[in-house]
Order: sequence, then structure tokens, then C-alpha cells
Amino acid sequence: MSRKKVSVWSDNRFWQRSAIWVTGFASLLLIWLTFDTMGQISMGNQKDIDNHITKRVPSATVINYEVEYNMNQNRGHEVPVIGGDDGKGNSLFKVKEKFFGRDDYTQKEANALLHLGKLASQAKNCMDCHTLLGNGAYYAPDLTKAWLDPAWGKNGPMQAMTGKNTKEEAMAEFLQHPGKYPTHARMMPNLGITPKEAIGLVAFLKHMSTIDTNGFPRGFGKIKEGVVYAKSK
Amino acid sequence: MFESFTDVNHSFFGLLNQGPLTLTLFLHAVIVLPMFWIYFQEKKRLESEN
Repeated sequence: MSRKKVSVWSDNRFWQRSAIWVTGFASLLLIWLTFDTMGQISMGNQKDIDNHITKRVPSATVINYEVEYNMNQNRGHEVPVIGGDDGKGNSLFKVKEKFFGRDDYTQKEANALLHLGKLASQAKNCMDCHTLLGNGAYYAPDLTKAWLDPAWGKNGPMQAMTGKNTKEEAMAEFLQHPGKYPTHARMMPNLGITPKEAIGLVAFLKHMSTIDTNGFPRGFGKIKEGVVYAKSK
Repeated sequence: MFESFTDVNHSFFGLLNQGPLTLTLFLHAVIVLPMFWIYFQEKKRLESEN
């Protein structure tokens, strides 16, 4: 059989078929990824917590629990640990923590609180300056893990500055009167956040900190040198 | 080469995501390799046509 010299690269049909294949496959892949993502980001409920099932986006009722950001040896990065650590960086869902004096928010109450916080965050356009879960600006601090920021913790300067005794009260106080507390060269403007909205926003932030973001932002809150403790002053 | 699956939710893409570039390399291979098949098929067609 004599072999003829042909040019496939300049053949229209080859490119046509390749384009159809690449576009078709990529479209199917994107559709598949969309459904895959839906499964990944669907929110859990109290039943998951009761059954000790870790969800990427846990139930709104995590506001009843203590939240930490610990190294998970298995996964090789920090993960949100809800209600106590089993020593390996997995959530125990046992240790509760009072949130504005209560640790028995029902699913309905917690959902409503989170919904209020979400609406308030949109109404006040937090993302104009802050970043939430990778969306927004970096003019002001990233709020994704704000709840876990040691500055708001027991000995943190932010809590001390507001004169409150708990993290949530300090955050709510700051949100309502940001002008009173000089924190940064770029001070947060007074946005007219009501006390109710402030509680919702803090619940929203606490819940957001429990979302598993695959270790992002990495090493958050672990740089102790970066935090000036009020007590050490 | 293969590590145990450690992500929160199990997924096919997470399984492929074993390390840097593994998912990217796999998807590119899956897209590019059939193009070789298309290439040789078209080559055969062109050779037999003329």
C-alpha cells in the first residue's frame, strides 16, 4: 500500500471534531462539577451534629458550640473544630459555648439569626471592604475566620477595648459603634447597625468560621507574635 | 503516589486531587488523548480519500 503524504493539521474536519470534543467534554465536566459542588456546599442540620457528622457547611446551630481552628494531622492543615477536639483535629460536637448567654438555640432560631446576619451583611455591603469566603475586598480584614481571631478572644486587645466580657458581645458592640474604637488607620465607618442586626451578624460570622475552607486562610490566628495581648501591656 | 482520601466530603474530583496538579494533569490527559485518536482517524480518512 502506497502511503500518501497528507496534512491532518491543515484539515478542517480534524479541527472541527477536536473542537466539538473539547467543548462537549468541558461542558459535561462543568455540569458535573456544578452538581458535585452542590453536594459539597449543602448545609447540614442539628441531626448531623447529633450524629457527629462533619459537614463542610455545618448547621446554623453550631453557634451553640465552642469553635476552634486546629491542625488536622490527617489533612495536613487547620480545620474548624466544633465542640471540642478529639486530639487529632476532629470535631467532638460536645463542648458547648454560650452565645449571648444561651447555648440552646433551636434550628429555627439559629437559622433565623443567620438569615438576619446574612441580610444585614448584604444591606451594609460588608464586601465593599471585607472579604467573606474569598469574595469581596481586602481593604479591611478578611472576615472568613474573624470569629477565631485571637484579637477578639479572652485576652485579645479588641475584646479589651470594647470593655465586654465575651467575644460575641465585644464584636456586637464594635459593629454598632465602630467609630468609638480606633483599630486601624482605615477605620470602619458607622453603618447604623442595630443591636439586633449586630447579633445576627456575629452569629453569621461565627457560623462562617465553622465552614471548612480546606485550610484557607492557612495558619490563621497561629501567628501569636502578630497579636498584641492586652494583658501583657 | 496514592494517599488516603481525607477531604470532608467524598467526591470523584477530590479523589483525583492527590497533590499539586494531579487533577489538572488528569483532566488535560483525558481531553488531549482522544484528540490523538481523532488525528489518526482523520489521517486514515485523508489517505484513503485521495
